[in-house]
Amino acid sequence: MTYVDTIIQTAVVLGGTLILAVPFGLYMARMISYEIRPLERTLAIVENKFYKLVGIDSNRQMTWKEYLFALLLVDGIVAAIFFIIVSTQNMLPLATPGLENFSIDLAFMQASSFITNTDLQHYIGDQQLSNLSQMVAIIFIMFVAPASAIAVSFAFIRAFIRKNFGLGNFYVDFTRIIITLLLPVAFISSLLLMVLGAPQTLESSLTVNTLEGNEQVITTGPVASLESIKDLGSNGGGFFGSNSAHPYENPNGLSNAYEIFLMLIIPLSLPIAYAKLVGKGRGVSLLIAILIGFGIAFAIALSQVSGPDLLETRFGSFGSIFFNIASIESNTGSANSALAGMSPNAVIALFLGMFVQAIPGAVGTGMMTMIIYVILTLFIVGLMVGKTPEFMSMKISPRDIKLSAIIFLVHPAIILIPTVLAFVTENVQAITEGEITPFTYTEVLYEFTSAAANNGSDYFGASADTPFWNWSTGIVMLLGRFVPLGLMLAIAGSFTLKDRKEVIEPIKTQGPLFISVLVVITFLLTALTFFPFIVIGPFSM
Amino acid sequence: MIKDFFKNNPVKRILMTSERNGSKNDNDTNKSNESMTSTTSPSMLTYSMLTNRRVLIDSITKLNPWYLAKQNPVMFTVEAGFFVVLAIAIFPNISTEFVSQNQIFYIEAAIILILTVWFATFSEALSEGQARARVDSLRSLEKEVSARKIVHGKEVTVTSTSLKPGDEVIVYSGEIIPRDGLVNEGKAFVDESMMTGESNPVFKEKGDHVIGGTKVASDKMVIEITAEAGRSFLDQMISLTQNATRPKTQNEIALTILLAGLSMIFITVIGTLLFLAYSLSYAVDIATLIALLVALMPTTIGGLLPAIGVSGITRLGRDNIIAKSGKGIEAAGDCDVLILDKTGTITEGSRSAIAFVPMQGYTEEDVGQAAFAASIHDTTHEGKSIVDLSEQKKFIPPLLEKILAARSIEFSAETRVSGIEFVASKKVAALNKEEEEEFREIARTVVNGKATDTIDRLEEDIDRASRSKVHDMLLDLEKTKESDEKEGKDQIRILKGAIDGVLKSAHPGVNVAELKWKAQEIGENGETPLAVSVGNKIIGLVVLKDNLKENIRENLNEVRSTGITTVMITGDNQLTAQVIAKEAGVDEIMAEAKPADKLKRVVEEQEKGHIIGMMGDGTNDAPALAKADVGLAMNSGTAAAKEAANMIDLDSDPSNILKVVKLGKQLLITRGAITTFSIANDVAKYFAILPAMFIVENPKLEALNIMQLHSPETAVLSTLIFNAIVIPALIPLSLRGVKFKPESPEKMFYRNMMIYGLGGLALPFVAIKAIDMVLTVFMG
Repeated sequence: MTYVDTIIQTAVVLGGTLILAVPFGLYMARMISYEIRPLERTLAIVENKFYKLVGIDSNRQMTWKEYLFALLLVDGIVAAIFFIIVSTQNMLPLATPGLENFSIDLAFMQASSFITNTDLQHYIGDQQLSNLSQMVAIIFIMFVAPASAIAVSFAFIRAFIRKNFGLGNFYVDFTRIIITLLLPVAFISSLLLMVLGAPQTLESSLTVNTLEGNEQVITTGPVASLESIKDLGSNGGGFFGSNSAHPYENPNGLSNAYEIFLMLIIPLSLPIAYAKLVGKGRGVSLLIAILIGFGIAFAIALSQVSGPDLLETRFGSFGSIFFNIASIESNTGSANSALAGMSPNAVIALFLGMFVQAIPGAVGTGMMTMIIYVILTLFIVGLMVGKTPEFMSMKISPRDIKLSAIIFLVHPAIILIPTVLAFVTENVQAITEGEITPFTYTEVLYEFTSAAANNGSDYFGASADTPFWNWSTGIVMLLGRFVPLGLMLAIAGSFTLKDRKEVIEPIKTQGPLFISVLVVITFLLTALTFFPFIVIGPFSM
Repeated sequence: MIKDFFKNNPVKRILMTSERNGSKNDNDTNKSNESMTSTTSPSMLTYSMLTNRRVLIDSITKLNPWYLAKQNPVMFTVEAGFFVVLAIAIFPNISTEFVSQNQIFYIEAAIILILTVWFATFSEALSEGQARARVDSLRSLEKEVSARKIVHGKEVTVTSTSLKPGDEVIVYSGEIIPRDGLVNEGKAFVDESMMTGESNPVFKEKGDHVIGGTKVASDKMVIEITAEAGRSFLDQMISLTQNATRPKTQNEIALTILLAGLSMIFITVIGTLLFLAYSLSYAVDIATLIALLVALMPTTIGGLLPAIGVSGITRLGRDNIIAKSGKGIEAAGDCDVLILDKTGTITEGSRSAIAFVPMQGYTEEDVGQAAFAASIHDTTHEGKSIVDLSEQKKFIPPLLEKILAARSIEFSAETRVSGIEFVASKKVAALNKEEEEEFREIARTVVNGKATDTIDRLEEDIDRASRSKVHDMLLDLEKTKESDEKEGKDQIRILKGAIDGVLKSAHPGVNVAELKWKAQEIGENGETPLAVSVGNKIIGLVVLKDNLKENIRENLNEVRSTGITTVMITGDNQLTAQVIAKEAGVDEIMAEAKPADKLKRVVEEQEKGHIIGMMGDGTNDAPALAKADVGLAMNSGTAAAKEAANMIDLDSDPSNILKVVKLGKQLLITRGAITTFSIANDVAKYFAILPAMFIVENPKLEALNIMQLHSPETAVLSTLIFNAIVIPALIPLSLRGVKFKPESPEKMFYRNMMIYGLGGLALPFVAIKAIDMVLTVFMG
């Protein structure tokens, strides 16, 4: 691939995503502010019947605590169902003969993994899951997890809209997001991926005669439908163990580009929705800051040649880096190559995305994290104009700072402390061979970073299916997901109670100066926290 | 008005002259900063304080780990690091794996660490020392009344503050009741107007409660003191001068949380780095790790935060303002609406003549001469200004002697006019030399208050006085008087005053339409017209104008450029108010306002989310002062106002509210700037220490070794030294505050970002390298 080709490919994919992000964002803004959607009447009938059936009072505004409780309740029930299915799958229909049930620790880890939108897999999908598990459990949970995060981000954005909206109702948001956002897009995308060559069948395997005359069993299944929601919802858990490197999951360059689009579309649309609701300049500035961050990571990754070992020849060095960067910066966590094939610089870039979690980050959480960075930036530099820092003309209180500080403290703590534990308890040594090198250390750091950032990509894969790794990553994923979500809801809750003033903010959260300061502070806080670990890890590989 | 006030108060005047280089420059922050530097600058105080033993002792007692743990978590962590390094320095054989340097290195590191902590506690003690000194000097300014205490049946004069409950005092007519109490003996009228606004004295007898600060209007009485020694405002302020007892403001709390959060992140980082580096078989030195931790933690802002907070009190004190709470000072920075009284704040509260407008048939000179004559006995500012204006324009009336000798008509609320009245006298017609001399003599006595050269000029002018219409009129008057005398009319008046008042005594043939029209025109310019009449003829108008306070426009411009809206409250009509507002540069006006409207406005603006600053002095201002976010009461005001406000201005200069606002902003900027600086510094520190830690085992780190420091040892020490000396280097800045330039928030943000953000990023690279080079020389 020539230099020009790479630029054209980047421009087309990113440009196309950004162009489509506008209608997507505007549509989401309508969902956030309860404006009329296309087919509103029909949808309302369906939704209202559903609310009645389940017994939800759709007009009830929730406090942040109620919202959080509803979120935990729904996610808890879904995770429990998943837990039961995977630990009893060989007694359930559609199981391939000889398929084993998941052990308790693996089932816990996978339940945490899917419900937290991480999709870290300590198993090989095509070999260890029945098609029922894949379809019902995984595809279903892959809708629930992103819908939960997007719902929280809706509530979060509502906290900053001028009119007194309240936070909304979790059940309503959740239902509407699944029915009128994720399902339609995923459905169309499945069709498109099928056209591009991804299989969609209930058969669990194909038996073919190879050129050599041998018989080969090829695992197959509802790949296209899983693939679409896997990428759209920042999930990342593949049907196959080799994830998007598998020709069924990602058949060709076109599907590669389309999947990149799917991974980035919702994270990049949310700032547009934000722009529509709280001010064009603010939202666009947020989007630009996110894109600059993404660009920096992309540039770092491209600064060193990756491969050609361990990369798919179908995508080449650039196609692999592009896909992996898009996937990991958006915390989707799918990969179209082995991570080991990535150059040290590319790995640093991947780490960067998971440390920052907001360039663009996962659906919902990415944008909220960026707004937390905005609040922190405003506080650090905002005093310099001689006023109490304000966000959206609302004073930033000590409590907001405390909650934000905890968000930024939890992240390194749940990465670094388990990493140390893994070394001290010799569990690293148990699953890797030979002496500990910067590469081994990088693998371990990556495992927990990926878990904490709810990313899901990893070096270990099924080799980390041991009780220590399952329990530790499971706990890290739960903490990495629900602690920040809870804190963000708490911040949103405190902002809904604040007086909205008609006064001009001392520092406008827009314009080139603010964007640069925001990007610098975002990277500075990240770098100051993780610099030594990058230095002794990927930098020394 | 202010000058008058100082004239009456020698103590204050002395203070004023000794502490400020002329009050004129005060309004200009930059200039006043410079002038402060030259008199009582923080740096000068620093030197004198260095020798102050109390400051030194305080700074050492503050090293107590318990105190630091409670007050300053960042410095507590540094001190904990000191103890670890000290332990290694004393027992280098504690561990072989984590101790790899020689003993001297640990001793040096330990010394630098404890110095870092001491610099921080010293800055705190220093700022407290300054604040204490300031409070002591303010003490002499606070209103204290003397009381006649009854001791064994004898009257002993004591100060009111020394009174205890149960003491008996005797208060005579005209004296102030020193404190709240009960009447034990006697009956008297008490003037409580300053407390209650009720102007009629209240009758009090045995068993009645009396309020401290009110005045006995008649007779005398014996009062038993019931209230505790009044918590004087200065006592309230003293608690603010001690960092430990000072209630922290919201911003400080938030900043402390942020700093604690950052510290905890870095503790996690360094703690885990120890194990991970060990797992990767790097030789990790504990002292180096502690050095990295201390370098990364926001020690600069953490160390200086208490000093910045306390310095706010000191700097307010320098402007003779007593702060009753820290909250008010901080809110002042956030203030975005200032409600200002017109009188006293924007204008001097007195009007001056600026022009004469003649009626048809008369000249400007006629009006000037008549107005001069009408004002000759008027000692008010207005009257003096009319005389001054006439003199300036050389409109001196003829027959000055007679005018001076004429009877004065005092202003009264009923007639609303003043002037002179010629009393019939046969001598007047023919003046001989002697008599003229006599008149000149009288002139000297009457115009006693004026400079003598004015008299001399007057005398010259008398001769030069042209033969104007008024001259003729006056001469005519003389004649008519003589003729009138026969008819029994013996009064001829030259009057000036309100249009209606003058019209009453005027001839019915006066052109009322012309007069009203001209008066209206003057009113439209925001000026006040006064009619002037000679006899029964109205000859013209005097234009009076409100005097703006010196520098008020510049002051308000500065205030506006920082995004603050100013609202002027006045009892004047809309037109007058608008003109003054335009001239002074006020944004909004509330004309024809009643005192109660202030509270209404404060509440309205607060509902819109504004932070309100206002000043007041009357009892009826008290509710608004209490409601406002920043309430500045005048020391000359009533006790109720002072009680309600969160700050008291001992100078009683209402425009001081602008200073308070600037100071509040400066405090916030200083905190923000040093925080930004502190965090920006960390980048260079990483680049200095990380290669030092790992480069021996991992040559790849050569790529990060951009500073090329001499050795790992000097790298760590020079980073620590830099980290330590930044604190004392920034003490003057924290005590004085970051330079405040009135400009838009965007500009201010950009400028401070460049200085403290980029500067903070670049400076340590240079400084650490320089320190390293110096260390290299010493350590070989």
